[in-house]
Amino acid sequence: MTPDLALEVSGVRAGYDSYDVLMGVSLKVGINERVGLFGPNGHGKTTLLNAISGVIKPRVGNVRFMGDEIAGKSPQAVVDRGLIHVPQANLLFPQMEVMETLELAAFCKRAKPEKSANLDKVLQLFPRLKERRRQQCKTLSGGERQMLSIGVGLMCAPKMLMLDEPTLGLSPKLKDELAVAIGEISQTGIPLLLVEQDISFVLSLADRMYLVDHGEITREVSKGQDVDHEQIMQMYFGEEHA
Amino acid sequence: MMSLDAFSALLVSGLVLGSIYAMMASGLSLVWTTLGIFNFAHGVFMALGAYVAWTVSDAAGLNLWLGFAIAMSVAFMAGLGILIERTVVRPFYGQRDMLLITVMTTLAVMMFLEKGIQMLWGPRLKQLRPIVEGKVSLLGITISAQEAFIIVIAPLVLAALWAFLRWTSTGRGIRAVGQNPDAAKLIGINASAMFAVTFALSAVLAGFTGILLGSLRLLTPGLGAEPLIKAFIIVIFGGMGSLAGTIGAAYIIGLVEAFLITTVGFYWAPSALFIILIAVLLVRPEGLFGRRVA
Repeated sequence: MTPDLALEVSGVRAGYDSYDVLMGVSLKVGINERVGLFGPNGHGKTTLLNAISGVIKPRVGNVRFMGDEIAGKSPQAVVDRGLIHVPQANLLFPQMEVMETLELAAFCKRAKPEKSANLDKVLQLFPRLKERRRQQCKTLSGGERQMLSIGVGLMCAPKMLMLDEPTLGLSPKLKDELAVAIGEISQTGIPLLLVEQDISFVLSLADRMYLVDHGEITREVSKGQDVDHEQIMQMYFGEEHA
Repeated sequence: MMSLDAFSALLVSGLVLGSIYAMMASGLSLVWTTLGIFNFAHGVFMALGAYVAWTVSDAAGLNLWLGFAIAMSVAFMAGLGILIERTVVRPFYGQRDMLLITVMTTLAVMMFLEKGIQMLWGPRLKQLRPIVEGKVSLLGITISAQEAFIIVIAPLVLAALWAFLRWTSTGRGIRAVGQNPDAAKLIGINASAMFAVTFALSAVLAGFTGILLGSLRLLTPGLGAEPLIKAFIIVIFGGMGSLAGTIGAAYIIGLVEAFLITTVGFYWAPSALFIILIAVLLVRPEGLFGRRVA
């Protein structure tokens, strides 16, 4: 059976310690689909990615990846299956060199045979990393670090990528560069789940977008559909300011 | 003015001390940078490694070839390292007070193993056969071949450790877990497995140091107590966190200690060493090779 869904999350409740951040979230990402996740800070977008990638365990609900149940599995098991989570503002390994970091990232068994091919791909996508190959991660600029984070994700031989705010703190020029690169990655047939605060960035890349509000998905917007700016303002500033 | 012979003797004894310290401290430093704990049982690991090799090789024991005894001791220490990590370190991983809790648990292991050695091997003093016998002339003085062997083998062992951490997938995984466990998880690195390997490696380094020292000194359950204290100082003095810093500091401290022994004597050398270290740390609180945290 070939599933037509890459990722299917249904009714996930998850959080930290004793309180829930996610109040029953469901979403779908199809094979060859690019899906955006948009919403204000602190409303559960990162928590959702953590619950999918196994960093935290969902209290309730199901997570299916390529047809297999992965809810509650360890991050290692999720990586082994090819679902790769590129976390927000990843500092990576401060005292490791760029090239070492990329080579290390092909750590799981599945990724090892594809190591050199993937390395070529990453360096072609981000030539800047080639120039910085002998530099330690901690000496990289924000943009370079973001490129390396995505490159590290690609070295894991992903069958799907989840990117958490890849443009955080970057200049408009760098954002455009990164959008092109992320677009190219998804052209190779890797489905994407993209968390972003920059709505125009999401719209330029995603086929579909979910709006996240207070730990729930409140709306789904398809490509071409008008985004209701009023609703977005409401999400950010509450009813009375809209 | 020091004569050339006296200078050579000082240099050689400093290098022997430095070699022993570097091998002890690198294991301690590896555990510190990877797991973020200080292992107080590291010294008794050293004694245990020597005792196991003694039992396998000595005429009063199994009387087998020393090379085999060393291999047995290495395997035993690797297993013990994994066992200790599982039982007294892993249950506390991720707790806020982990550093302090593991001070207690590893101290408990130290006491338990010291008493265990005393019970199993008894109070009679023992000595290992040297790995290499005879004497060699070095820099115009004559030293035991074992001392020369230590001076040569330590850099080789440390270079092998460095190469392992730098070039192998597991070695890089260990460094990654130490530098950013969360990011390491997300590329599929199993932190627990890396911790077990780290502990095993560190225990093997300590045990092997014990074997090297075990033919120069008499074996006692407390054989590793003083080297452990020195190793702690070296890790701190070297700047907490870089293996190169630790190794550099180990040789510096070895040489300074040898110099102090010839000048202020055995009795006051340790105290004098501490005074020098405190003075250095006053000027460079980040350690000799450490960098200030931004």
